[in-house]
Amino acid sequence: MREHAEFMLEKEKIDALIEDGYEITAVQENLEGAFVQFSNGEKQAHLHIESADARKYFSFLLKKQKEEAAST
Amino acid sequence: MANLETSLAGIRSPNPFWLASAPPTNSGYQVQRAFEAGWGGAVWKTLGDPILNVSSRFAATSFNGQAVAGFNNIELITDRPLEVNLREIEETKIKYPNHAIIASLMVEPNQEKWHEIVKMVEAVGVDGLELNFGCPHGMAERGMGAASGQVPELVKQQTAWVKEVAQTPVIVKLTPNITDITFTAKAAVEGGADAVSMINTINSLAGVDLDSWNTVPNVAGKGAHGGYCGPAVKPIALNMVAECARRPDINVPISGMGGVSSWKEAAEFMLMGASNVQVCTAAMHHGFRIVEDMIDGLNNYLDEKQIGSVAELVGKTVPKYSDWGELDLNYRVVAQIDTETCINCNKCHIACEDTSHQCIDMLKDEQGNDFLQVREDDCVGCNLCSIVCPVDGAIEMVEAPRKTGEEPMTWNERQSLVSMMGVK
Amino acid sequence: MATNQSEAWISVEDIKANFTEAHPALKQKDAVDEANRCLYCYDAPCITACPTDIDIPAFIKKIASGNMKGSAVTIMDANPSGASCARVCPTEELCEGACVLNHASTPIMIGDLQRYATDWAIKNEQVLFKKGEDTKQHIAIVGSGPAGLSAARELARFGHRVTIYEASAEAGGLNTYGIVSFRLPKEIPAWEVKQVKDLGVEIKTNTIVGKDISAAELTEQYHAVIIAAGMGKVPTLGIDGEELEGVRDAIEFVKMTKSGKWEENLSGKKVAVIGAGNTAVDAATCSVRLGAENVKMVYRRTEKEMTAYAFEYEFAKQDGIEFKWLSAPAKIEGNSSGEVTGLLVNKMKLEAAGEDGRQKVKAIEGATETLDVDLVIKAIGQERLNPLIEAFEVTHSDGVIQIDETTYATSKTGVYAIGDIIFGKGQGEAMVVSAAQQGKKAAWAIHSELTENAVHSA
Repeated sequence: MREHAEFMLEKEKIDALIEDGYEITAVQENLEGAFVQFSNGEKQAHLHIESADARKYFSFLLKKQKEEAAST
Repeated sequence: MANLETSLAGIRSPNPFWLASAPPTNSGYQVQRAFEAGWGGAVWKTLGDPILNVSSRFAATSFNGQAVAGFNNIELITDRPLEVNLREIEETKIKYPNHAIIASLMVEPNQEKWHEIVKMVEAVGVDGLELNFGCPHGMAERGMGAASGQVPELVKQQTAWVKEVAQTPVIVKLTPNITDITFTAKAAVEGGADAVSMINTINSLAGVDLDSWNTVPNVAGKGAHGGYCGPAVKPIALNMVAECARRPDINVPISGMGGVSSWKEAAEFMLMGASNVQVCTAAMHHGFRIVEDMIDGLNNYLDEKQIGSVAELVGKTVPKYSDWGELDLNYRVVAQIDTETCINCNKCHIACEDTSHQCIDMLKDEQGNDFLQVREDDCVGCNLCSIVCPVDGAIEMVEAPRKTGEEPMTWNERQSLVSMMGVK
Repeated sequence: MATNQSEAWISVEDIKANFTEAHPALKQKDAVDEANRCLYCYDAPCITACPTDIDIPAFIKKIASGNMKGSAVTIMDANPSGASCARVCPTEELCEGACVLNHASTPIMIGDLQRYATDWAIKNEQVLFKKGEDTKQHIAIVGSGPAGLSAARELARFGHRVTIYEASAEAGGLNTYGIVSFRLPKEIPAWEVKQVKDLGVEIKTNTIVGKDISAAELTEQYHAVIIAAGMGKVPTLGIDGEELEGVRDAIEFVKMTKSGKWEENLSGKKVAVIGAGNTAVDAATCSVRLGAENVKMVYRRTEKEMTAYAFEYEFAKQDGIEFKWLSAPAKIEGNSSGEVTGLLVNKMKLEAAGEDGRQKVKAIEGATETLDVDLVIKAIGQERLNPLIEAFEVTHSDGVIQIDETTYATSKTGVYAIGDIIFGKGQGEAMVVSAAQQGKKAAWAIHSELTENAVHSA
């Protein structure tokens, strides 16, 4: 698959969780990519993020999440 | 006409172009010819205990028909008596009082030896001293040149000894044959250096003759490593200058050299923090007259940029040079091909297809004409296509909408965020 | 060039000098600089434009890297007449015309680089190819021109036994006899012939099919036959005076200049060449180089319709040839001793284009002119070899053998035809390079046919 398509698939999954009120609660990175844990307070969800752009993307969301948390 | 006058730690010269300590500055005859041609200064070929040279000394690499892409030498420091050199320095300085003459010096790591030679050369009126801690071949086998330049303590100690007696500014010339040049640059500063110059030549073997299997160059069938310089080393030199320039604790002026072939490289070195430049290979390739275009080109460049003095260039790009970890991960450029200008050599396609990210398609339009198109979504903005493109203006790297985050985020930022997010 | 038209005498030394190769070879620095200028395009249009698909960027890269043998092999592998084609190809219409640098600077001198690489192979007596393992299959080829040689070379590399029947004293066909030596010295096709002979190909020269051996004998004795006999002599004009001494056939005239004997000296002579194709230009430029005082090309149409390549026309102009356009030969005048004294031409005018889009020409009544000439050279095309074609019992259209354009098979099983003998009626191409490609393709078709048969019969 083309790299951009891979990114878009993973981004959609991330966006869907954010849309549903999930936040990133844990990240573990290793040679297989990033294992990102999301939570909406009640439920947890896990995504295995492999594409380079999606690994940039969730970390940017994390940055925004931290900034928002700091401002409230 | 911009003001090209420069000052390096107080050593003034009418322009930033100095001849580096090397074969072109071997004698008064040569240096005087150079000053006539327009060179602003000259670092006299290194003075020290008399040495002997071998026959067959230089070699060059050519690339795709371009001679002297890189240059290699196994010549040592001056082989003329010190007294002769001193006499010619004195005579030249009297004749050309406004041009800078710097004595390059190399002696054993011994306080007395340094004191002695510094006093002798200052007595004939040099404008400054350059300590040769860089020469990588021959002299290094005897504990001098790069051998002492690779040991920060020796750099610091010898600089300090020179400073004990020197009346003129002391420049320490550094070797690139070291993992991190800022260590030795720092040592020079700690020893009291007034300036540093870099780079000396890089350990090298120019080639092997495929018929005789002799090294190139060789002396009676035997070779030894030499020092590499010329256009090919510019990026290495430029980085070393930049790394020193951006370090607040290496707070002395820099004389930049290594592959300066025209006014353009000179401007680059100066933007990257050099107060002036030194040149050797370009002069050896073309003669002293090459400085005319260096001066003229730099002048026109400054005029075009409406900059009054070349000194204003110094260090302007340094704040833009950083660590990889400080680069914005979310910034994006993509390639765009102007099909009007494109000549359809397909080099961008095959470079991308084979060695990058497979995002340039070879297509046909309705009339059956070939054209190339970038799939911008898949383009990572690597620049390769625009690098291999033979036609100016056919491929442009343009800023593209960010797709991984609308604001900047660096690796360092990201890692500090992610590191706080361990599995709970 | 060493002629002075005001002088009525030209020495043999001057003639020899006039017939040495006119276009200078690239010097080493030129060649390497030019090779380095090549962009080494991917999927390069020059390759597509070459009828033999020479991997041009590859052979040029090899010159740049100093791999001269590899360069020569790349060229000769694709084109067994690669050394000749380097000199005679209309490169501006083919590879150089397709060079992408036409859009950015100036095209790469591909022809000259090809000559540089093949000259190297010639000078260094390189063996570039090996014959294949003997298949015991035997193929006869009629004609040793570029088409026949190419087929022979490929067949021999496959391991087939090949015998070429050549009517002339020397092999090489058009390249040996038909292209003027100041463009293509005889040594070049001779080297190409030797390359083929070195693969074990037998060439029976001075052997005429239809006289020394019959077509039927060939088809009976060989596993396959390729007809690559080219074309015949220049046809008659059908005007009075054609029988006079001093009326010559352009093909024979050019052939004479390639004999190396230099018996003909045209000092002080005035020559009219009838026709405006490449052979006509060759006859005209040869005449100048043999010392003729004045040479005119006489053509019933205009510059626009002439079939000579642009560079040939340019070459003729540089040699000081005069052109009489819209002039149709009506009569060759002679004296009592049978010598030509003049050429009577009828002036023509252009009329509206016919259905074929070509403007018609019509004689202007009463508008005649007598050109003061001593020699008339006919270059109005070549006759077809109908008797030979008919002897092979293959289908043809007015002497153009009809073939399958992929396999070059004729209507008769086991008989193939390539080169000028299939050119015409919208079929084939007249270029040496196309002949070479046809030879390759016919050889491949025969090889695949013979191997398939061998598999089936095994």
